[in-house]
Amino acid sequence: MRIEKCYFCSGPVYPGHGMMFVRNDCKVFRFCKSKCHKNFKKKRNPRKTRWTKAFRKSAGKELTVDNSLEFEKRRSIPVKYQRELWNKTVEAMKRVEEIKQKRQAQFIVNRLKKGRELEKSEAISEVKKNIHLIRAPHAAKAKKMEEKMVQKLQEDVEMGED
Amino acid sequence: MALYNFKKIMVVPTAKDFIDLTLSKTQRKTPTVVHKHYQIHRIRHFYMRKVKFTQQNYHDRLSQILTDFPKLDDVHPFYADLMNVLYDKDHYKLALGQINIAKNLIDNVAKDYVRLMKYGDSLYRCKQLKRAALGRMCTIMKRQKQSLEYLEQVRQHLSRLPTIDPNTRTLLLCGYPNVGKSSFINKVTRADVEVQPYAFTTKSLFVGHMDYKYLRWQVVDTPGILDHPLEERNTIEMQAITALAHLRSAVLYVMDVSEQCGHNLEQQLKLFENIRPLFANKPLTIVANKCDVKKITELSEENQKIFSDLVADGIPVIETSTLTEEGVMQVKTEACDRLLAHRVDTKMKGKKVHDVLNRLHLAMPAKRDEKDRPPFIPEGALTRRKAMEVDAPKRKLERDLEVELGDDYVLDLQKYWDLMNKDEKSDKIPEVWEGHNIADYIDPEIMKHLVELEKEEELKVQAGEYDSDEESEDDEMKEIRQLAKQIKEKKKLKFMQSIEKDVHGPRMPRTAKKSHYVAQARRSRSTTRKRKREPSAPPLSRTRSQSASRPPRDASGVRDAKMLKKVKMMMKNSQKDMNRMGKKGEADRHVFDLKPKHLLAGKRKSGSTDRR
Repeated sequence: MRIEKCYFCSGPVYPGHGMMFVRNDCKVFRFCKSKCHKNFKKKRNPRKTRWTKAFRKSAGKELTVDNSLEFEKRRSIPVKYQRELWNKTVEAMKRVEEIKQKRQAQFIVNRLKKGRELEKSEAISEVKKNIHLIRAPHAAKAKKMEEKMVQKLQEDVEMGED
Repeated sequence: MALYNFKKIMVVPTAKDFIDLTLSKTQRKTPTVVHKHYQIHRIRHFYMRKVKFTQQNYHDRLSQILTDFPKLDDVHPFYADLMNVLYDKDHYKLALGQINIAKNLIDNVAKDYVRLMKYGDSLYRCKQLKRAALGRMCTIMKRQKQSLEYLEQVRQHLSRLPTIDPNTRTLLLCGYPNVGKSSFINKVTRADVEVQPYAFTTKSLFVGHMDYKYLRWQVVDTPGILDHPLEERNTIEMQAITALAHLRSAVLYVMDVSEQCGHNLEQQLKLFENIRPLFANKPLTIVANKCDVKKITELSEENQKIFSDLVADGIPVIETSTLTEEGVMQVKTEACDRLLAHRVDTKMKGKKVHDVLNRLHLAMPAKRDEKDRPPFIPEGALTRRKAMEVDAPKRKLERDLEVELGDDYVLDLQKYWDLMNKDEKSDKIPEVWEGHNIADYIDPEIMKHLVELEKEEELKVQAGEYDSDEESEDDEMKEIRQLAKQIKEKKKLKFMQSIEKDVHGPRMPRTAKKSHYVAQARRSRSTTRKRKREPSAPPLSRTRSQSASRPPRDASGVRDAKMLKKVKMMMKNSQKDMNRMGKKGEADRHVFDLKPKHLLAGKRKSGSTDRR
């Protein structure tokens, strides 16, 4: 039993789900749901359909080259079953998965950092320009002036004492 | 080669049937209506047609009979002789000759009467002529009754003759009745010849087929032959003699050692000597049958001498018992080998061989050095061959295990696995974890890779790649963000309010061209003002102010802003469904597709009827 990958969206195809299409040149296409299947029949390119993983990876929106991604791949050399190897693999798998998810998340965060900077500067400029919409100009200024004068007097007093 | 046509001979009808057939055919297939008042040539033509049609039919059928039946001169002499024995050559030829004569007579009759009919001057005359013609033809056929009956019987018997190919490899069994020829053929081939204790159980020739050395062999079983001169032989024995005479085969002369057949050994020997001339040019083998009852060694001195004489003559004598099957295979191989050798010899002496021999050339590779290169047979092959010969005890199969355990048997192929640890064979192997296939991660060096990965990860953490920037935001920034949010909201509100005011009313978009209709509308207002109204007519601005004093329709009857909001929401909610369905309004109940094809047509495979 294997969990296959959908040809179109690269999602998991669990056993008993989806469709498989075998072409005349013996290439096998698996689809996780009829959405992917219908898009395929319409001859759409998954690398150009924005919601697929293929697009995201080719457009650089997701982590592509990383050591943590090299752990999960189909190897052509079969390995005979050894209990301890299997046990170790299961544990290692869990740790690798953690690291992988962390790294993927960090990649996306880094990508969106620029947007955050922009957001920040936009907020600042917005406040600078349109503060008059929510606060009357010189609204708190009188109070502030008072506080400033009080503070200055206090300093003078201290200075006078010294 | 008339081998197969014996079965394809057309049925020969009896004379009565023949006549009925032909006359009814004439009745059906020719026009039936003729009147006195027709023109004479038409009447003549009508009756001539009938006569000719009848003649044609008779002619066709008789010719077919003549061609179907084999001509004794054209078939293989074996078949010619066999048919002579069975059906008497003279009688056969006579019958066919009679048929031929009948055919010619019918043709002549028809010819004559057609000629006469040309001079018929009335319907009555022509009709009488036709009657006469047909009558004569039918009488001729009636006279052939005997011949036709005889030919039908011949045909039936012919079609049941066994198909013996006179040119292929054949083994012929002969001997006294009841010596065991039929039992022998039953043992060696798949034939099922009757075996009974009375003499002349086999009354005709039987053929069986067997395979030896990848070739097909015919085995011919004959009826028993008794010892009397040729002239006194009956039909049954003659068949055997014919077969002996004409088939180029290996002869197996079967003798009964135990003398159970009712004839002692001297008589059998005498018969053998009598028919010996028929064995010329045929490899001969003597089969001493029924050796389970009595062996040659148990015989008396004289009888043993007979056999030793035969052996001395160069004829192999093999003891067999068709009951216990000993010696049967030996006889078969011996006879087949000898026949093959004989056939090869004859071919070599013939003329056709040289054509083939000239073209054959066996190439042997020239030795390039003195090194000896024997053929290589791997050890496994040798052991297997030895095991086959010795018939070593087979290893226990799963099937045997299944039979032993019966219901408790469980097929477990994992026990044959070749693993490094034997006790891991019955492990349940996990396949999937959280959407990942474990088999994709299996790598003998996975721990090494994992250690490297961990190191990398530590380095990254130390380098501060995973620190988040959120904490580096100070309070001031947070306040600015909040203010910005408020400003945005306020802006939105203002925008929406300004839209609601709808100061100018519905407007043409700026990009719309100043069309004909707009100009017309403007014009119509000025042109309809045909006569000047009284000053009491209110100016435009007045209507505007009037409408300004009245509340707009969607705010009439509404007490406060909260209620207004609720009212608006209710209105929008009630419109939501209609908008979604693309309806013009409440009254739009039009169904665009009353009978959608996808719900009503086709087989119901999977899915419910609202979407199939």
